[in-house]
Amino acid sequence: MHQNMVEVRDLSKTFKRSNGEMLDAVKNVSFDIRQGEIFSLLGPNGAGKTTTISMISGLLTPTHGDATIGGHSITRQPLEAKKLLGVVPQEIALYPTLSARQNLEFFGKMYGLSGAALSKRADEVLEFIDLKDRQHDKIESFSGGMKRRVNIGVGLLHQPRLIYMDEPTVGIDPQSRRRILDTVKQMQTEMGMTVLYTSHLMEEVQEISDRVGIIDHGELIAVGTVGDLIQKVGEEDRLILKVGSQVVSELLLTRFRHEVEGVTGATHEQAHSNGSDGSATQPDGLIIVIARRGRRALPDLIRVANDSGLDIVSVEVREPDLEAVFLHLTGRELRD
Amino acid sequence: MQKILAIIWKELYITYTDRNLLVIMLATPLALALIISLAFSDLLSGSSDIPISNIPVAIVNRDQGVEMNGAAFNNGQTFINVLVPPANADEQTLADNALYQLTDAVVLSSVTEARAGVNNGTYAAAIIIPADFSERITYSQEHPTVEPASVEVYANPGASVSASIIHSIASSISNQIATGNIAIAATINALIERAQSDPAFGVQFGLISAAGGFQPDFAPAFSGETGAVAIERQTVEGRQVSFNPLVTFGSGQAVFFMLFTAMASANSLLEERRNWTLQRLIASPTPRYMVLLSKFVATFVTCVVQVLLLLVALTIIGSLLSGEFQIIWGTNILAILATVLVTALASAGLGVFVTSVVKTPEQGNVVGSLTAMAMGMIGGVFFSTQGIPVLGTLSRLTIIYWGVDAFGKLSVNRSDIEPNLIFLLLFGLVFFMAGWFIFNRRLNV
Repeated sequence: MHQNMVEVRDLSKTFKRSNGEMLDAVKNVSFDIRQGEIFSLLGPNGAGKTTTISMISGLLTPTHGDATIGGHSITRQPLEAKKLLGVVPQEIALYPTLSARQNLEFFGKMYGLSGAALSKRADEVLEFIDLKDRQHDKIESFSGGMKRRVNIGVGLLHQPRLIYMDEPTVGIDPQSRRRILDTVKQMQTEMGMTVLYTSHLMEEVQEISDRVGIIDHGELIAVGTVGDLIQKVGEEDRLILKVGSQVVSELLLTRFRHEVEGVTGATHEQAHSNGSDGSATQPDGLIIVIARRGRRALPDLIRVANDSGLDIVSVEVREPDLEAVFLHLTGRELRD
Repeated sequence: MQKILAIIWKELYITYTDRNLLVIMLATPLALALIISLAFSDLLSGSSDIPISNIPVAIVNRDQGVEMNGAAFNNGQTFINVLVPPANADEQTLADNALYQLTDAVVLSSVTEARAGVNNGTYAAAIIIPADFSERITYSQEHPTVEPASVEVYANPGASVSASIIHSIASSISNQIATGNIAIAATINALIERAQSDPAFGVQFGLISAAGGFQPDFAPAFSGETGAVAIERQTVEGRQVSFNPLVTFGSGQAVFFMLFTAMASANSLLEERRNWTLQRLIASPTPRYMVLLSKFVATFVTCVVQVLLLLVALTIIGSLLSGEFQIIWGTNILAILATVLVTALASAGLGVFVTSVVKTPEQGNVVGSLTAMAMGMIGGVFFSTQGIPVLGTLSRLTIIYWGVDAFGKLSVNRSDIEPNLIFLLLFGLVFFMAGWFIFNRRLNV
């Protein structure tokens, strides 16, 4: 059996814009996805995640490079590769006037299922997504969360070895989101599936992923486990001290760096926030302190600030996460 | 094959459970055909051989005539001869001549009076023959060309059907006159040339002419009896039956609304792309050509079903209104089926093409509707475009013209529909292939 479920090599895609300019949406991306792991592609909107996956799933022809699914090339053996892949698009890719069961059975036929085998699989999937009692209802009558579950069910119907899920929790309530994330873990642990997951939500990716690829401006800038990636930025916490409109002196920042144990850096940022009535903006100063064991450094930070006559309005401690990794690698926030 | 059938089934299921689409596909054309049928209920009742009768028409002949080979000809007079019964015509003559029954023609001397009569509704139309009519269309050795001549049919827009009939009659008479003139000139020229090249024949012909033995009768060349105007048709049993507007208007509506159906059905490709179901299909191990072909076949089947249902419904309506069962589409079932199939193929092909060149379903709806409307206008669904300069020619580029023409021919048991079938088949295939190529290229960016 092939060690890697997916092997992506030098995958590139160039689009021609309407003004004639060429846009390199994906640039020489290479990575592997191991059998049975949940691999997430993380990046802001427009980073190239969907384009990369669209090439892997055969929707777009690569400008350059190739990828294999279970050893089958997506450019030379596309039908063989597609048989191993289940697709769960970000959109609710279902026929609204067909019932849940009709949708499942229709797409099942597209994967070569028929007769009793198709019916049995439809039953199993309806059971899995907990919609058996609504199986004959039209999709258009379902809630957003229920539609998402059927959307996932269609991708599971032919028992693919690899399932690709593109932002499956977009636009749904927290309860449904929780349910979907549990389902993804179940697919891995109970069904032995390999999962390729894309999201711009760092928390989700961090929770479910075995390994993560960070993509930005069409380039894969880092790949590894969440732990590996966090190590890249060191195990330092970020402490965000809100000081409102008060003046922050350079002397205070220097005292933070020299008098508080564990602090390796301190900067002052001037932001603006809306007033309570939402009509005006107010200065909203922030002191960002980088510190090892940030919680332990917090009392000393507050003491030094008070000594300098500065009132700290609020404090937030951010432990190292993928957001910090992205910030470290690109110099900007993931949500920008 | 299972996948193709599954996609086709899905398409048909969605189509036939969509009430809005069903209204466009079936209810609207049926309602329109019913309204038209009721308007022509006298015609369908079988109470008269020519239910449309006595269309009031004024003829103003300003033609100055010409002299040819020593004889005077006034071709404008032919309109009067054909449409206005002689003063001494007996009842049998009047009953036997279809045109005398169809029209109630009067001769006027004033164009102004004729126009005023049309404007105030006294006449459905006025045929106004210009002063140089004969001069322009007469062919002779001295004037060996036939120039375009305009016979004005001044029509009352409130009586569009009657006016359309008068327009067709005027057009047919004009053509008959032009053809007759050329035939006469050609005959005389041939005789003169032979007389010049064969002295013996020339002497003999001269003697016969001098003795009054050569008195050609060219009157039939200008007569309506030669079939200048065909408004009758025969059933298989040879019984004369009336002109049936259900065939013309019904088939026009059927083909017209089939275009809308084809556009809407093909447009679902764009909706599927927006909803990502198309991408989901393409991401499955289903060859892309299979997806597009199935869509096309589903559109085609939808069109076929729609037209067949409408043909059957119109037959039933026609039978109910006439009080007896009438097969209004003719008896050549295979040819009718072939016409339905190629018309549906052409419509589906056009639908796929329109879908391929627009970007969004909304654009598809607008462009598709405009295309269908334009085809309807040019093709003659709303008013006859035959004989109208440019439009008449353009109409031959439309599915509607060839489809309606084929149904019309079949309804009178004519079988010369090969040009119709070939045009529609080629039209469908060319547009489908072009649409397929463009859409596939756009998907595969």
